[in-house]
Amino acid sequence: MVMTTHEEKMRTVRFKVAEEPHIVLDPEKCRTCAAKACVCVCPANLFVPLDDGSVLFNYEQCFECGTCFLVCSKEGALRWTYPPGGFGVTFRES
Amino acid sequence: MRAPKPTDHFDVVVVGAGPAGSAAAIVAARAGLNVLLIERGEYPGAKNVSGAAFYGSAMLNKLIPGWWEQAPVERYICRRDVILISPTTAVSLDFRSASPDYAAPPYNAFTILRPKFDRWFAAQAEAAGAFLLTSTVVDGVIKERGKVVGVKVRRDDGEIRADLVIACDGANSFLAQQAGLQRRLETHELSLGVKEVLGLEEAAIRERFNLSGNEGMVLEYVGAITDKARGGAFLYTNRNSLSLGVIAQVSSLVETGKRPYELLELFKAHPAVAPLLRGAKLREYSAHLIPESGWEMMPKLVASGMLVAGDAAGFCLATGLYIEGINYAMQSGMAAGEAAIEAHRVRDFTRHTLERYTELLWPYNVFTDFRAYRHAPHFVNGERLQNLYPEMAAASFERLFRVDGNAKQKILPLYLKAMRQSGAKPRHLIADLLQAARSYLW
Amino acid sequence: MRLAVCLSLVPDPATIDVDPLTGEIDADRTLYIMDPADAAALELALRLRGEGDTVIALTVGPAAAEPVLREALAAGADGALRLWDESRSATKPAVTSLLLATALRNEGLPDLVFCGWRSLARGSGKIPALLGEYLDWPVVTDIARLEIQAARVHFHRRLARGDRSEGEVTMPAVLAIAADGVRLRYASLPQLMQACRTAIPMRDLPDLGLSPLDLSFPASTVHAVTPPRPRPRTIFIPDSSLSPHERIGQILSAGAAPKSNTVLEGSPDEVADAIIAFLQARGFLEQPA
Repeated sequence: MVMTTHEEKMRTVRFKVAEEPHIVLDPEKCRTCAAKACVCVCPANLFVPLDDGSVLFNYEQCFECGTCFLVCSKEGALRWTYPPGGFGVTFRES
Repeated sequence: MRAPKPTDHFDVVVVGAGPAGSAAAIVAARAGLNVLLIERGEYPGAKNVSGAAFYGSAMLNKLIPGWWEQAPVERYICRRDVILISPTTAVSLDFRSASPDYAAPPYNAFTILRPKFDRWFAAQAEAAGAFLLTSTVVDGVIKERGKVVGVKVRRDDGEIRADLVIACDGANSFLAQQAGLQRRLETHELSLGVKEVLGLEEAAIRERFNLSGNEGMVLEYVGAITDKARGGAFLYTNRNSLSLGVIAQVSSLVETGKRPYELLELFKAHPAVAPLLRGAKLREYSAHLIPESGWEMMPKLVASGMLVAGDAAGFCLATGLYIEGINYAMQSGMAAGEAAIEAHRVRDFTRHTLERYTELLWPYNVFTDFRAYRHAPHFVNGERLQNLYPEMAAASFERLFRVDGNAKQKILPLYLKAMRQSGAKPRHLIADLLQAARSYLW
Repeated sequence: MRLAVCLSLVPDPATIDVDPLTGEIDADRTLYIMDPADAAALELALRLRGEGDTVIALTVGPAAAEPVLREALAAGADGALRLWDESRSATKPAVTSLLLATALRNEGLPDLVFCGWRSLARGSGKIPALLGEYLDWPVVTDIARLEIQAARVHFHRRLARGDRSEGEVTMPAVLAIAADGVRLRYASLPQLMQACRTAIPMRDLPDLGLSPLDLSFPASTVHAVTPPRPRPRTIFIPDSSLSPHERIGQILSAGAAPKSNTVLEGSPDEVADAIIAFLQARGFLEQPA
C-alpha cells in the first residue's frame, strides 16, 4: 500500500480528542473572506467550505501545525491555541 | 530523577522538550540549576516531526559521549543524493563516502525518528536532574515590571515562577510573540512539510539503496516534484522504514491551491521514486511547519528573564544544499543553557546579562552558519531554480544521451538550445549564477 | 469512608496495529492509557469523596504500569499502591484479583471497592466478581450512577437493550462502574507536579504474605472448539420459464417483486373513482355497505 488516499493517511495517526475545540472560526468573518486559504493548505483537510459562504472546521484530527493560522488573512476570524496538554495529535514514528 | 525543591520557584523553566529544550535543560541541570522542562505532548516528541536526518553527531558527542550507542538511531548516513527532477526525468548527483569521517564514530549524521529520539533525549535531561513535566501546555509568560518572571500553564493553579524562561516552543512560538520578541510571520517565511513513514523490510532497503549493514542514505529532490509550488522533497532510509515527504513554501501553496497531501502522492508516483517504494506500507502520516527563512525571520532572542532557542528562533538552515534544524536547535539550546548558568552565577537575569546568549551563538556556530547562508533561502525558493533549471537540466541530459540516428551535437550548443527552448534568458542565467555564488561560494 | 479504586493500564485500541501478513501486533506502535471504565470509576469515587474520606488507587502490574497510578494521584487520589509478582511477565484475572484482595485486607479493608466494568484489555468482567468472592462482599455490576444514603449505596444500573434498574446495597461492597461519558477530571498543576514527585509504594508476594503456590491456578485448557452450526442460507432460484433478461432481473432483486405502477388517465371524476376502488380493493378503505 504505497499510494494512499487522504482518509487512509489519517487513519494512521493517533488523536486524543479534547472536549473543547482549540481552533474556533468566526462564521461572519469567514463569509466575507474570498480567499479561504485555510481550505487548501490544511494537511489534514479539516476545513470544509459551506454553501452559505462560511467554513466548517473539524478540530478532532488536527495536526496543530498552525498553517491555517498563518494563512488566515481575516483579522480575528480564526482563534488558534494548542489543545490542553496531553490531548490532540500524538505522533509515534514521525 | 533528583527530587526538585519543594517550592514551585525554579531557576530555569524550559518550554518544549524538543532538541533545543532538552539540550538547554541538560546543560543547566548539570551545573546544579533547578530546571523544569515542560512538554505539551503526552511524551517528548509526540508533537514533533522532522525528516529526520540529524547532522549534529559530533556536537552531541561532546554533550553525551558515545550517544549513538544508547540513543534510538536508525542508520548512519554515508550516501547523499541531490536530484533534479522534471515530470519524466531525474538527474542526480550521488555522494557516497566510506571515509571514517562518515562511516566511523562519531559519524557525520544519522537518520532518526523524532518521537523516539526526543523521548530519549529528554530522559537525558531528567537524568541530569531536570524535572520533566509532560501533558502540560504553556499558554503564556508572566510579566512583571517589563520582566518575564514565569509561565502560565493551562491547568488549575497553573502559575510557575522562574528566574529565567527559555522558550523552545517550536515554529509557532507564541511565547516569543507574546514577549514581543517575534512579529507575526509571513506565509513566504515558513514551509509546510507533509511526511509519511513507510514500513519496508531491512533487506529490501539495503538492496534498493545499495547499502550494507547499518549504512543509511538521504535523497533530496528539487524540481517538478512540487508541481508549481515552491519547495522540495526528501526520502530517508530508516532501519526498517522509509521517511519521505514534501516541503512547500506556504505562500506558494496558497497561490497554487495545491493540497499538500496531493503533492505527496505526486512525489511518490514519480518514475524516479516509485520503484524505491514498491511494496512499502504506510505506517504514519504527519505534518509540521518549518521556519525556513533563517537570518531574515530571526526574532529578538533575548528579553529580561527570557531566551528563545530552536525553531522558535527560526534556527532551521534550509539552503537547498543543507536542510538542518535539529543540530542548530541543540546548539542554540546548549548556548542558552550556558547563558543561564552564567546569569545564575551573578544572580542577574536582566537583558543585559542574558545578551551573553547571542555572543555564545557565534562560537556554537549557529550565527556563523546562518549569516554565511543568509542569501540562500531566497535563492532556493526563486521561480527559475524551482522549476526552470531542473527542467532544463533534465531536457538537456535527455537530449545528450538519446541516440536517434541524427548527428551527435556537442554539449554547449545542446545546452544553449535547451536554454532557448525553455525560454530562459542568458541575462537571468548569469544573474542566478551570481546569486548562487553569493549564496554558496563566498 | 474509605474508597479503593482498582485501575489498569491498557493498550489504546486506536494504537493497536496488526500486521496484515504475520497477524502480529506491532508493539512498537502501541500506546497505553488508563482503562476508560477504570477512569470513570475513579472519577465517581472522587466525586463521592467527602470531608475526611480517602480514595486509594491500586494497580497490578510491573513498574511500567506506574503512570496509571500517577495519573490517579494527579487527579486527586490520596494514595497509590502497586502490586506485582516480579517473577511473572503477565497477569490474569484470577491472579490480579487475589493480589488486590490480599492487599486490601493487609492495608485495612475499605468501605467500597470501585472497578471499571469490562476493561478494554480483556472485557471479561471477572475481576469484580472474583474480588467479591475473595472478600465475601456483594458485587454490583453495570453501575451508571450512584449515591450514598445512610451507609447504603443507592445505584442505577444500565443493562442490555436499554433496560435500567435501581437498587441498594449495604457497605462494604464491590462496585463495577460502566459510566460511559464520565471523564476523569483534568489535574491541577500542583497536584500533577506532586504526583510526578511521589514515590509509589510496591508490594510483592512476600510483602503480601503470599507464596507463588497461592497464585498457581489450574490453567484452563481448550480441548475443542465447536462453533455454532451455520444456518443454511436460502438461495433464491429464478423462474426458469422466464427469459434470460427477466431472470437476471429476478436474481438482482433477489426475488423481491418489482413495484408495479399504474398510471390512471381520464377525467378527474373517473380518476377519483378508480383511486377509491383501488384503495377499497387493497383494504385501505372500507367497502360501502
